Amino acid sequence: MRPLMVPDPHCASCNGTFVEKLENPEDDPREFQHVHDGFADDGLPPNMDGFLTGLRALFQGSEPERARSTSPTASQGNRLDGPGPGAGIIGSGGGRGLTIQIQGSPDGRSRTMIFGGRGSRRDSQGEGNHPPLLSEFLRGPPGPQDSGPGIAGPLMAQYLLAILGNRPGAGGMDGFPPFMGMPEGAENGRWGDYVFNQEALDQIISQIMENSNAGRPVPATEQVMEKLPREVLEEGSPLLERDCAICKDQFKTDTEDADELIVVTLPCKHPFHEPCIMPWLKASGTCPVCRYQLVPQPEQHGPGSPPLRGATSSRPGGSSSASPPGAFPGSSSSPPSSPRQRPASPGSSSHNRSGSGAGASSLLSNLFGSLGRGSGHRRNDSGSSTHGEGANSSSSPRDHIPGSWGDPVD
Amino acid sequence: MAVSTRRLQKELADLKKQGTPVGIDLLSADNFEEWFLSLEVLGETVFVGEVFCLRFRFDSSYPISSPAVQFVVDDKWQAPMHPHVYTNGHICASILGNEWSPVLSVVSVCVTLQSMLASCKEKKIPPGNDRYVRHAPDNPKETRFAYDDDT
Repeated sequence: MRPLMVPDPHCASCNGTFVEKLENPEDDPREFQHVHDGFADDGLPPNMDGFLTGLRALFQGSEPERARSTSPTASQGNRLDGPGPGAGIIGSGGGRGLTIQIQGSPDGRSRTMIFGGRGSRRDSQGEGNHPPLLSEFLRGPPGPQDSGPGIAGPLMAQYLLAILGNRPGAGGMDGFPPFMGMPEGAENGRWGDYVFNQEALDQIISQIMENSNAGRPVPATEQVMEKLPREVLEEGSPLLERDCAICKDQFKTDTEDADELIVVTLPCKHPFHEPCIMPWLKASGTCPVCRYQLVPQPEQHGPGSPPLRGATSSRPGGSSSASPPGAFPGSSSSPPSSPRQRPASPGSSSHNRSGSGAGASSLLSNLFGSLGRGSGHRRNDSGSSTHGEGANSSSSPRDHIPGSWGDPVD
Repeated sequence: MAVSTRRLQKELADLKKQGTPVGIDLLSADNFEEWFLSLEVLGETVFVGEVFCLRFRFDSSYPISSPAVQFVVDDKWQAPMHPHVYTNGHICASILGNEWSPVLSVVSVCVTLQSMLASCKEKKIPPGNDRYVRHAPDNPKETRFAYDDDT
């Protein structure tokens, strides 16, 4: 017995939420997102400098293709506005690549990142305290102006995570064979207890949401409800002996509400007033009396297991023809479709990772995965079990990922 | 008239006409939003001699939507010490959640909870009780329980 709370997902083990409020801005655990001026405050080992320089040299060896690949998507000049004051993010593009400005970061400053584009480096030189941009960082070779404390440790870490979070072999990673012995899961941006990109976070969230939705009743479809046999009550009808199990009233012909003269009989032969049973079927496609399944229901625990259990399928990719045997002779050619069995449409996402090998856009979508619905929000369709029904219904509120960049921080 | 009102009127009339099952008493049903009933487990059980108070809250779509049911915990009443009852009175019972059916009623919920208590062999609070109670919403219907076992 584990309590899970909606609408905020709670961890079933510790019951904590996944979005943490920062009570004290000084104590921001996301420290690597800040831009620091130097190494002094970062607590990095003293020889980190040399390590970073070495890494930089490593990256610079593979840069030329990367610098040219600015995806069409990234240069369209999407405007990506977060709704809240906490994270206003503006992206602008044009022929010169994509500029992203993040306003209202925890330290009050705004940050600019420019991906791709030829002229971007020159422009940024005007601002004195600007850290090197990721594109510059990856493009190299370092000009004279790049020497010195060009990239601070935290920023370096951020760039590294962005790169590591990318999937090798997919777009943008051609230059980087798996290195540093990446452990299992790193290619998805998941590495032990940490996630490095929005997609990996999405996966975890949808996993949680899927679990918390397991066992929820599946509503009957319009089609199923329309085909139910209806009968208008008349004098002498045997139904007049019986009760509607929902309102507990006996069926009767003298009623002021004409709708109550209509009796719907479910395939299991249980009769109900039409206005009584229809709202229920919209919530759960089962008979209230015997739990006969008009549409396949998820597995349920506990006693009183519903009939026709063998026909249920609670996992996507399970039997798609899971219509209960003998259910609805009239509609057997068109089995009731439950929402979770709809296949995810692979063409619906414009950011198909395996499509263009655009380093900048791929990197971008890693950094700002679910910024703006539909522009970067994408799940992998590789058939892993980590995404279930959440991936299928794009209009459901579950697509709103709590704590995403679109949410106000406080 | 709201569907819930009509149905609750009917339930109330039946309660008054036919009486309540043994061990269950109507404490208050002054409106059609909130009722209180007392619950006692009869026979040789770990709860012998204890009386509990159940609070039912109905929304306008009852009985299509389940009532919010919890044990009252205040100066006068305590929740039973049971592996499915949190110390704040919230109850983890599938019939109050995923397995609710509009055929169920206030009395049938009481009888089910009575039998849940009666079958309890050992007084134990739920695992993770403290954490749940700390974060629990006011309305237990906002909690989605995972029903792991059949007990």
